[in-house]
Amino acid sequence: MQIIYTDVLVIGGGLAGQRAAIGAKRRGQEVIVLSLVPAKRSHSSAAQGGMQASLGNCLGGSGDNEDIHFTDTVRGSDWGADQDVVRMFTHTAPKAIRELAAWGVPWNRVQRGDRQITVNGEKQTITEKDEAHGLITSRNFGGTQKWRACYVADGTGHAMLYTMSNQAIAANIPVHERMEAIALIHQDGRCCGAIVRNLMTGELLAYVAKATCIATGGFGRIYRVSTNAIINEGMGAAIALETGIATLGNMEAIQFHPTGIFPAGILVTEGCRGDGGLLLDGSQHRFMPDYEPEKAELASRDVVSRRMEEHITAGHAAQSRFGEHLWLDIRLLGAQHINTKLREVKEICQYFLGVDPAHDLIPVRPAQHYSMGGVRTNHRGESPQLRGLFSAGESACWDMHGFNRLGGNSVAETVVAGMIVGESMADFCDSADGALNISTSLVEHFGKQQQQQLGIIADPAGNESAFALMKQMQETMTANVGIFRDEPRLQEAVTTLQDLQRRSRNIRLRSSAAGANPELVAAYRVQRMLKLAQCVAYGALQRNESRGAHFRADYPQRNDLDWMRRTLASWPDAEADLPTLNYEDLDIMRMEIPPGWRGYGARDYIDHPDTARRQQQIDTLLGELGPADRYQQQEAVMPFKQLLPEHLRGTNQRLGDEE
Amino acid sequence: MSKQLNLWPARMDLLESLTGLLLVLFIWGHMFFESSILLGKDAMLWVTRMFEGAHIFDKPYPLLVSGAVAAIFVLIAVHAILALRKFPGSYRQYHSFHRHMGAMRHADTTLWYVQVITGFAMFFLASSHLYVVFVQPDNIGPYASSDRVWTGRFWILYVLLLISVHLHAGIGMYRLAMKWWPFKAASAALARKRLKLAMWCVIAFFLCLGSASLVTYMKIGYEHADRAGERYVPATESNHPVSN
Amino acid sequence: MSAIPVQQVGRTLYIHILRHNPCDPLSEAHLQTFELEEADAMTLFIALNEIRENHDPSLQFDFVCRAGICGSCGMIINGRPGLACRTLTKDLPDNITLAPLPAFELIGDLSVNTGKWMRGMSEQLETWVHSQGLENADIDSLEQTMEPELAEQLYELERCIECGCCIAACGTALMREDFIGAVGLNQITRFQLDPRDQRSDAQFYQLVGDDSGVFGCMTLLGCEDMCPKQLPLATQIAFLRRRMAMV
Ligand SMILES: Cc1cc2nc3c(=O)[nH]c(=O)nc-3n(C[C@H](O)[C@H](O)[C@H](O)COP(=O)(O)OP(=O)(O)OC[C@H]3O[C@@H](n4cnc5c(N)ncnc54)[C@H](O)[C@@H]3O)c2cc1C
Ligand code: HEM
Ligand code: HEM
Ligand code: SF4
Ligand code: F3S
Ligand code: FES
Repeated sequence: MQIIYTDVLVIGGGLAGQRAAIGAKRRGQEVIVLSLVPAKRSHSSAAQGGMQASLGNCLGGSGDNEDIHFTDTVRGSDWGADQDVVRMFTHTAPKAIRELAAWGVPWNRVQRGDRQITVNGEKQTITEKDEAHGLITSRNFGGTQKWRACYVADGTGHAMLYTMSNQAIAANIPVHERMEAIALIHQDGRCCGAIVRNLMTGELLAYVAKATCIATGGFGRIYRVSTNAIINEGMGAAIALETGIATLGNMEAIQFHPTGIFPAGILVTEGCRGDGGLLLDGSQHRFMPDYEPEKAELASRDVVSRRMEEHITAGHAAQSRFGEHLWLDIRLLGAQHINTKLREVKEICQYFLGVDPAHDLIPVRPAQHYSMGGVRTNHRGESPQLRGLFSAGESACWDMHGFNRLGGNSVAETVVAGMIVGESMADFCDSADGALNISTSLVEHFGKQQQQQLGIIADPAGNESAFALMKQMQETMTANVGIFRDEPRLQEAVTTLQDLQRRSRNIRLRSSAAGANPELVAAYRVQRMLKLAQCVAYGALQRNESRGAHFRADYPQRNDLDWMRRTLASWPDAEADLPTLNYEDLDIMRMEIPPGWRGYGARDYIDHPDTARRQQQIDTLLGELGPADRYQQQEAVMPFKQLLPEHLRGTNQRLGDEE
Repeated sequence: MSKQLNLWPARMDLLESLTGLLLVLFIWGHMFFESSILLGKDAMLWVTRMFEGAHIFDKPYPLLVSGAVAAIFVLIAVHAILALRKFPGSYRQYHSFHRHMGAMRHADTTLWYVQVITGFAMFFLASSHLYVVFVQPDNIGPYASSDRVWTGRFWILYVLLLISVHLHAGIGMYRLAMKWWPFKAASAALARKRLKLAMWCVIAFFLCLGSASLVTYMKIGYEHADRAGERYVPATESNHPVSN
Repeated sequence: MSAIPVQQVGRTLYIHILRHNPCDPLSEAHLQTFELEEADAMTLFIALNEIRENHDPSLQFDFVCRAGICGSCGMIINGRPGLACRTLTKDLPDNITLAPLPAFELIGDLSVNTGKWMRGMSEQLETWVHSQGLENADIDSLEQTMEPELAEQLYELERCIECGCCIAACGTALMREDFIGAVGLNQITRFQLDPRDQRSDAQFYQLVGDDSGVFGCMTLLGCEDMCPKQLPLATQIAFLRRRMAMV
């Protein structure tokens, strides 16, 4: 087996992976990036709507700052997020966007003067400031108080990923494409690289590295209806789980996006609603204000998705030959706006639905969209259980999204996390801990183990079809672990998944084609995906409360008393059919914003006694501080800058700051 | 700039286009002059004389025509040598292009192929024609030309040359426009559609014009066949005959 | 993989696929025909997955986003390059012939290594913003301003998804392996237009000023007509040609 040595191995060539790679490379580390597909095809390219960063340049964003972004994100997370991390994030996001601007992303800019916008179905004219002209503009997104989503038409992720990839090429970072990490090499609680399968030739290789970073994106494909790319099968999270040591955090926290086109599930961006689009029901009535008078279509995604399903269940859906759905109406934005700012949406409607959104309604229904959970890391992006293992982006749970992520916070997270984790990895490699003593025999051992497992699959003894198992898993997840969850359905899901997992040991391959062998790929992936699915289903079953995107119809309240806890799933016994769940407390006494009402959605929740205590403590702290600016106040309540790499600690300048 | 730029590729590309453009302008003009036969023998003779400088020097100098022919020949040679670079260089290249063209069924790709074929054909056709007018510059005129066309059987050459050159020239002009013209992206598709239409119209026009004059030459040549070699004497000049 | 069980509309499709597995020394290129019942709203993505699941599990092809935005699934569909994931079978005749994109290294069946080609192109043309001091850019202060219109123009050129259709559609690229094609030329114009990129025209000339670059283009316009993102390739190549001819 060929062994390739490097300092830093980044598994994943999306935004997160490549930014981390660039960071580590700049610090003088040798870096290799692995990717299932050419890096520019990673699913980051599909992000349409925008990237959140509190620049506050345009009128709708004026007055914005880190504090408001922080509040929005914490509320969005339904207090499930790690507030230190959210602080680090909201502080670094403007830097991330400015860095990308310098690197070449053509962010849309503020145009001075009058402009027509659509709010609540009506046209309004606003006037942008002269001094903001040419600075980065932003659009409205759900769950935010300000217009904060910076965008490049509706190809934001594409533009970001291309710029990022080009910078990685400029930095001479090798991307080994069509290479799939299928196991982590580890010893004594130390990760030392990965066993990798070449998806063109089928050959196995070993990559040995001081630091290994999982940046493999989401795992939406455990669901049948998902906005995710079909490569989003969660192999990164799965191989971390299979170490038996590393943990996955909050796997039950799955986001459903309100506007997947029906029935294909392809996403049309939240920007449609942010720019003024409306949701209509079967009788073309705008129903969101009935449920959410304050934010209507622009409540957070979990809330809007739930309301939509609720409305469908109440019998107000539109019917089509594929089933029930609702409508998204962006006709009122006008052809001009659609042709420039929502081009990808237009193309998607044209090619997949055969409709022109400037004249027709778009059939939509919520679809699985994002996984808040993933490889659990600390604020530096390192696994607390497995030294040398890092994670960034959607595959990680360093936990800034808690139980619901805000639109636009994800691509922002990928870049910010990349900036931070790249530094952490470089620090780690340079430290005494980074030194790697690993014998080739250990590497060979892991390689052989994988070879053996693949051999077992290829053994013609079984009688199960990988494709069929995959389908059944996806059906089960969509039917039973969806937007509305309850004990009977979750229990059924857990049982079905156990059964599928058992059957997955008996897969029979019909083809023994040399090379990549797509059937073999499906076979070894479905085995791992079933484990992830089980972490989601089982975690959801155990969590007897509703929080963010995790909604239990039988426990509709958020329960801070019992559930200010993060789920940690691990799989120590490879033969077991359920993960081991542990819980990690979220300490309200360290929070900058103790739990409260989100400002939209249901208002009732079960309080934790610490909430009032912490609030009082904060009030006292602020009282003692006396007159102070917002930075000082924040510093007094929850200092966080020490957690950031030094060069990211500077104050963000904004338009209208006093010099 | 540390490295010296090699400006040859740019120059050659420009030159290819420029020679092409000049040749097209020439050939279009040539068509009008040579079609003067449609207006009558006298008109054609007048045009012939004009090119021989008779209206300036009082006396025709057919060598002027030879000079022009030489110049045109140089243009064609330069153009052809430059264009030759673009020809498929090997059978493998030719084969992959041909298969590609067949599968794609794409107009502009096919048009390029037409240009290659017609260009290649003109290599021989145009050379023959030029050779003739070069060595016998005095053999141009209402009867002289017609006799060549009919009795000399040059009409076969001219039919082929006519078709080749106008397809090649029309497509060439369209290609020149697409190659260099500063269209705005937004209006490019429309401009291209119009250009293409114009291209077909121009080709059709010149083919008609050329056919009409060729038929006229043939007709005159046919009627004049028994007296082939005799020179045309315009009614106004019949009292003092000239040498051609 | 379609989301909802769909009604069958009855037409039988004959899908002829050019198959070859270079990893298998015994494999020879041949056309294989699969019969398939057409379903409502069926795309080639759905059709090919069905073939793989029910007929031949060894069939190789590439899809990633299945939404026409990642550029993975370029292939030759009845003679013309296009994105398979957003091609509806209802727009095609009963007989559908699929072949891998030419001009790229074949991985197997319909899968080709566009990624390697594109990376090579990027390295050769240095398709990134060249600017002094990027590593230490000040990211705390206000960003540089840019005219809104220019930003939109840049994005217009950046919509390229590196699918390779313009290469497969270009007779020049098929004849000459070193030709960087419309995808490369377009990207150069994108950086040429970007004020953040400090390269001079002479520097761009060094990258594209020869027959493997802009002067190799013979204006066949297959690129312009087949680009699934409708990039203004003809306009951009003409622009670059003028610019480079004036250096
Ligand atoms: C349709 C859609 C629209 C979205 N729009 C927005 C938006 O507008 N704003 C926003 O903020 N967020 C949006 N998101 C979310 C956001 O795009 C993603 O969360 C984010 O881009 C993930 O980036 P990443 O770098 O973590 O992973 P990805 O970009 O998914 O990259 C994963 C990488 O890992 C590689 N990989 C995976 N497994 C392996 C393995 N086993 N071995 C080797 N390599 C592997 C893949 O090849 C790929 O390169 C959207 C998501 C979707 C699905
Ligand atoms: C006799 C030899 C000739 C040959 C072999 C020849 C060949 C070609 C070829 C192969 C091209 C395509 C070049 C490319 O794609 O870059 C071309 C272009 C062209 N030709 Fe010719 N040609 C010949 C004569 C002529 C004549 C007589 C004319 C004028 C009537 C002419 C006008 C043009 C024009 C205008 C173009 C387009 C130029 C360009 O693309 O830059 N050619 N020729
Ligand atoms: C200076 C150079 C040229 C001269 C003086 C010249 C002259 C003539 C003359 C006098 C005729 C009439 C027939 C005859 O006398 O044989 C003729 C016909 C013709 N020439 Fe030329 N020619 C020249 C260059 C060219 C070139 C470069 C081409 C194309 C490549 C060309 C294409 C033709 C054609 C197609 C005809 C037939 C026209 C018809 O169908 O009516 N000529 N030329
Ligand atoms: S220019 Fe168009 S056809 Fe060419 S790679 Fe880009 S998107 Fe594809
Ligand atoms: S098809 Fe090829 S030749 Fe030029 S115009 Fe397009 S690159
Ligand atoms: S699969 Fe992404 S473009 Fe077709």
